[in-house]
Amino acid sequence: MKSILSAPKSGSTVSKRPVWLVAFGSLVALVLINWFLQPSFFDGMVMHSNLTTFLPLTLVAIGQTFVIMGGDIDLSVGSIAALVNVVTVTVIAMAGGDAASVPIGLLTGLVVGVLCGVFNGLLISYLRLQPMVATFGTGIIFSALALWVMPQAGLSVPEVYWMTYSDFVLGVPTVLWILIAGFLFVLFMQRRPFESHLKAVGGNRAGAFQSGINMSFVRLLSFALCGLFSGFAALCLTGETASGDPLIGQSLAMGSISAVVLGGTMLSGGVGGAIGSIFGALLLGMIGNVIFFAGLPFEFQTLVQGLIVLAALAGGVLVARK
Amino acid sequence: MSSAITVRDLTKRFDKVHALTDGRLTVERGEIHALLGANGCGKSTLSKIVAGAYAPTSGTVLIDGKEVSFRSPRDAEEMGIALFYQELSLIPKMSVEANIFLRREPRNGVGFIDYAKMRTETLNLLAMFKDAIGDDIQPDALVADLTPGQRQIVEICKVYAKNPSIVIMDEATAALDGRQVKVFFDILRKKREEGVSTIFISHRLDEVFEICDHATIMRNGAVVAETAIAETTTEDVVHMMVGDVKKAPKRQALDDEGKKPLLKLEGVGSNLLNDVSLSVAPGEIVGLGGLQGQGQSTLLRSLFGALPITSGTVWLNNEQVAIRKPADAVRRKVAYVSGDRGPDAALPGRSIFENLAAAILVSEKRKLVRAKELRPQLAEVASAFKTKYARMTDAIGTLSGGNQQKIFIARWLATNPKVILLDDPTKGIDLAAKADLFALIRKLAESGVAVLLYSSEESELLDNCDRIAVFNDGAVVTELSGAEMDSFHLTRAAYGEA
Amino acid sequence: MSDASSNMHSENAGFSLGAILREPVVLALFAIIILLGIGEAVSPGFARGDQIIKLLTVAALLGFAAAGQNLVVLAGGEGIDLSVGAMISLGAVIAGNVMDGANGGILPALIAAMGVTFIIGMVNGLGVNLIRIPPLVMTLGMTSVIQGGLVVFSRGIPSGNAAPALMNFINQPVVFGIPGVLFIWLLLIIGMVFILRATSFGLSIYAVGANPQAARLVGLPVKVIRTTVFGLSGALAGLTGVFVIGYTGNSFISVGDQYMLPSIIAVVIGGTSLAGGSGGYIGTVAGAIALILLQSVLTTLHLEFWGRQLIFGGTLLLLLMFYGRQKSARI
Repeated sequence: MKSILSAPKSGSTVSKRPVWLVAFGSLVALVLINWFLQPSFFDGMVMHSNLTTFLPLTLVAIGQTFVIMGGDIDLSVGSIAALVNVVTVTVIAMAGGDAASVPIGLLTGLVVGVLCGVFNGLLISYLRLQPMVATFGTGIIFSALALWVMPQAGLSVPEVYWMTYSDFVLGVPTVLWILIAGFLFVLFMQRRPFESHLKAVGGNRAGAFQSGINMSFVRLLSFALCGLFSGFAALCLTGETASGDPLIGQSLAMGSISAVVLGGTMLSGGVGGAIGSIFGALLLGMIGNVIFFAGLPFEFQTLVQGLIVLAALAGGVLVARK
Repeated sequence: MSSAITVRDLTKRFDKVHALTDGRLTVERGEIHALLGANGCGKSTLSKIVAGAYAPTSGTVLIDGKEVSFRSPRDAEEMGIALFYQELSLIPKMSVEANIFLRREPRNGVGFIDYAKMRTETLNLLAMFKDAIGDDIQPDALVADLTPGQRQIVEICKVYAKNPSIVIMDEATAALDGRQVKVFFDILRKKREEGVSTIFISHRLDEVFEICDHATIMRNGAVVAETAIAETTTEDVVHMMVGDVKKAPKRQALDDEGKKPLLKLEGVGSNLLNDVSLSVAPGEIVGLGGLQGQGQSTLLRSLFGALPITSGTVWLNNEQVAIRKPADAVRRKVAYVSGDRGPDAALPGRSIFENLAAAILVSEKRKLVRAKELRPQLAEVASAFKTKYARMTDAIGTLSGGNQQKIFIARWLATNPKVILLDDPTKGIDLAAKADLFALIRKLAESGVAVLLYSSEESELLDNCDRIAVFNDGAVVTELSGAEMDSFHLTRAAYGEA
Repeated sequence: MSDASSNMHSENAGFSLGAILREPVVLALFAIIILLGIGEAVSPGFARGDQIIKLLTVAALLGFAAAGQNLVVLAGGEGIDLSVGAMISLGAVIAGNVMDGANGGILPALIAAMGVTFIIGMVNGLGVNLIRIPPLVMTLGMTSVIQGGLVVFSRGIPSGNAAPALMNFINQPVVFGIPGVLFIWLLLIIGMVFILRATSFGLSIYAVGANPQAARLVGLPVKVIRTTVFGLSGALAGLTGVFVIGYTGNSFISVGDQYMLPSIIAVVIGGTSLAGGSGGYIGTVAGAIALILLQSVLTTLHLEFWGRQLIFGGTLLLLLMFYGRQKSARI
C-alpha cells in the first residue's frame, strides 16, 4: 500500500495545540470588548459579582466534561442541583438552623449529588440505557424529588453561610477560592490515569476493552463526578440566593453542554478536557454580558444569545471534525 | 526444561461450527514459531484462545509446564502473554505514549502519571525502530495523525511495553514497508536471544522463511504438520496447507471475440486499492482471491459507490461511469450483496416484505409501495431461490441465517441487475443454502449477468468462477485461469509467491 | 421458548397470548381501560361520554405534536426533537397574529404557521445531518433561539386572537356531539398510517431507522430522509400551535412548552423504539390517550405535581428498560 505510506508525516504540531485555545482566545477578546463597553469591568466589585454569577455553571461544566469525555451525556445536572439545593437548605433547618448545622447540610447535599450521579451511572453503564434519554428521565425524577422535599421556594440559610460565600477569605473573594480549587482539581485529574482511561473509553470502546480497562466502572465514576460537581454548583447557588428553590438550575443542562463543547471537548467523546470547559462557561457568561452592555434592546438579548450559542456549537462541531 | 507454551487437544465450537478441532502447538523459549494455514483454518481462533480472548471448548494450555485457564485477555497478560491485535487496539485521538502505556501508566508517589518516565520509556521503545523511521514518530503525536505503518509500529511497541515472555504477532507486518519489516525482524531476533518466544502469523511466506525457526501448519481447524523451517521448502509448506490439490471443474470457455466486457476497470485506485484492472464479460463469474482483507471487499464496495475511488476509470457497457454513491450504482443496475448481513443488509425488526422490497423501491423510484402488486412479484423471486418463510409479514429475524441471506439476494434479483457484486456472500450459512445460492448465481450468469465474486473460501472460488484475480495488499498480483485454476496456485499466489 | 418452538414457522406462531400482551399498542390499550376504571371508581362520571370526548380533545392536541416527534424518532440516529414545544408556541403566536380574530384569516394562519415551522425544522435537520450536531443539542439550542425570537416578536405581551370559527370547530360539537378537532385527528391518523405503510418514503423512514448502513447500501438517501422528518416535525408542531390557540383562544409565548416532554413519552409508551426503526403512529395515538388519561386520573386522585412528575419519570425509565437497552460492549 504505497499510497498510504506517502501520506503526510505525523502531524504532531496539531496535537500540541491545546483544545481550549480557541475558547481562551475568544474569552480574552470578549473581556476586552466588555471592558471597552463597560469601563468599570476590572473594578473589584464588578469582577466579584460577575464571578459569582458565572461560578455555578462553571462547576457543572467541569462535571459534565468527565461524562462527555467518556462518550456519554448528563441532562439531569440541573435537577441534581435543584435537589441538592433544597436538601441542603432543609437539612440545615432541621439540624437547628444555626452555624453549626451548616457543615451537616453541605455534606448531606454533596452526598445526595453523588448518589444521583451514581444512579445515572448504574442505569447507563450497567443497565445500558441510552444516556440522553435516561438522564432526561432521571432529571424528571430528581426534580420531582426536589419538589417533594420543598414544594415552594423558601427557607433561608444561616447568615454565616451566605456571608462567607459573598465575602473574602484571606483577602481573596470566596468565589475566587472556589474557582481556583476547581482549576486545581482539574489539573489534578489531568495527571491521574483515570482521565486517560475515560478518554480511551470515549474514543474507542473496542480498543479500551482490549487494553483491559474496566469500562463500566470508569463510566460510572464519571457520572458520580458529574453529580458531585452539580452538588458543588448547588451549594454555590445556595450561597448566592440564601434560600431553597426546587426550580433552581433549570438552564444548567444546556448551559453546561454548550460550555463543554465551546471549550473544545468533542460530544462524541474521547477528546477534550475540563480546562476548556471552564473557559467555555466563562465565555458563555461573557457573551451575555457583552450583549447586555452592547445596548441591544432588551427583547433582542435572548434571541441574539441563543443564535450566538447555536452558531458557536455548530462551529465547535465543525472545528472538531477537521 | 519445559516448553514456553504447550497446547494440547484444543477445540473450539461456535454454536454448531467447529472452528478448531485439533489444536496442537509447542513453542520453545526463545523461538520464533510460524503458524500457517489458509483462510479460516483456525489459526486465529487458536491464537485468541492462547491470548485469553476466547475460552476453549476443550483442551489444555500449558505455560512453562503449568496448566492455565484464562478468563480474560488481562489474565493472559499477567502470565506474560501479549497479543498483537491485527485490527489494532489503539485509541486514535490519544497520543502515542498514552496509547502504549494505556492502563499501565507509570505513576509517581502521589499517583500521578509519571510523564517523564513514560516519555523516556516510549522513546526507548520507539528507538528499536530508529533505523527504519528515524524519529518520525513523536511520543506526543496523535495516533490518528500517523500512517498505517506507523500505527502498526506503535501497536508493536504497545506489545513489547508489557515485557512479555510470549508474543503472538498476528499479521504484524501487514502495513509495514520493506525497511520497517527488516528492522522489525532484527527486533524479533534480538528478543529471541533474550528468551522471548514469538508466534508469528503472516500472509507473506518469504517472511516466514526468513525469520522463523519452526512452523505449525493448520488445515480445516486441525494441525496437520509441524516442521523445522530449515528442513522444508515453500512448495512443501503450500502443499501441506492445501492438502489434496483441488482442481476447478472444467468449464466451457467463453468465446472471447464475441463477448465485449460488461464491466471494465482500468487502474482503479484509492487509499486501500492500488491500480486494479479487471474486466468481466456478460455471463462470466470472476473470482477475487487471496487472503482476507487484501482489498477484495474494498474493491466491491468501491464499485458500488460505498467507498471512494480516487483514480482510474470504470466502464459499464462501454460507457465510462462515475459511481459516487450507492444510489448511482442501483440506477445503473449494479447490485451488491454483502456477507456481513447484520450490519450491511438486514433491516432488523422489519418484515420480510420490507426487507425484500428495499432495493426495488429505490431502483424503480416508486412513490407508492403498491404492496398488492409487489408482493406476488417478490414472492416469485424468493421462491425461485427456495427461500423458506411462513408469511411475508413475519419479521426478518424469524428466518435462519441462510434464508435471510437468500432474502437479501432476492431483494436485488427483483431489480433485474446487470452486474452483481458478491462480497463473501456465504459467510456463516449452511451447505444446502450455499449450493442453492451458487446454482442461482450460475443461472444468472448464463442469462447474461456479469458477476464479481469474493469468497474467503477457496473452494467456492474454484468451484464457481471462470477466472480468479488474486489480491495482495490492495493490488491484483496475478490472474488465474484454465490449468492454473487449482488450490495450489491460488494459495501460492495469495502468499505472494506468484 | 415454549413447547411450540418445534413449529416456529407455522401459521399460528404469531398468535400466542404472551406475544400479544407484549405488543406495546395492546399494552397501551390495556392501560387505557384500567385507567378509565380507576378514574370511574374514584370519581363516578369520569368515564362518561362527554368526559371522554373532552379528554380526547386534549389528547388530540398531544397527538398532533407527537406525530412529528414520532417520525423523527422512527428515523433513528438518536433522533429526537426537543424544539417541538417552542415550535408549538411559535405556531400559535404566528397563527394568532395572522388571523387576529377574523375567520377569513384561518387558512393564511395555517399556511404561515406551518410554513415557518417547517423551515425551522429543516434547519434542525440540516444542523443534525450536515454539520452533525447531535439532535438533542441541536433542537435544544433551537428551542432557545425560537424562544428568543418570540420575545422579540411579541415583546412579552400576549397578542393575537383565535378566529371564532376555529374555536367553535375545536371546542364545540360538529356532528354527533364530537368536536371538529377529533375529525382532523382521525384524518391525521389515516394520513400517518398511509404514509408509514403505503409509501416508499414511509418504508424508507423505517429502513433508515432500523439500519442506516443497510439503507445506504440499497441506495436510500439517508441524510435527506433524516432531514425531512425534522421539517415535518416542525410543520406538525406548527399545526398543533394553530389548534392550541383555537383551544385556548389566545396565545402566549410559552403555551407550547407543556407539550415537549409528553410528546416524547407518548411516542415511547406507544412502543416506538428510541433507537429508531420500529413502532408506528397507532401506538403513539394510544400512548397519547393513555398519557392524558393518566394525567387526568392523577389529578382526580389529588396527586401533587411532584407525584405526577415522579410517575412520569419512573414510567419513562421503566419503558427504556424494556425497549431502549443498548448493546453490550463485549460481544
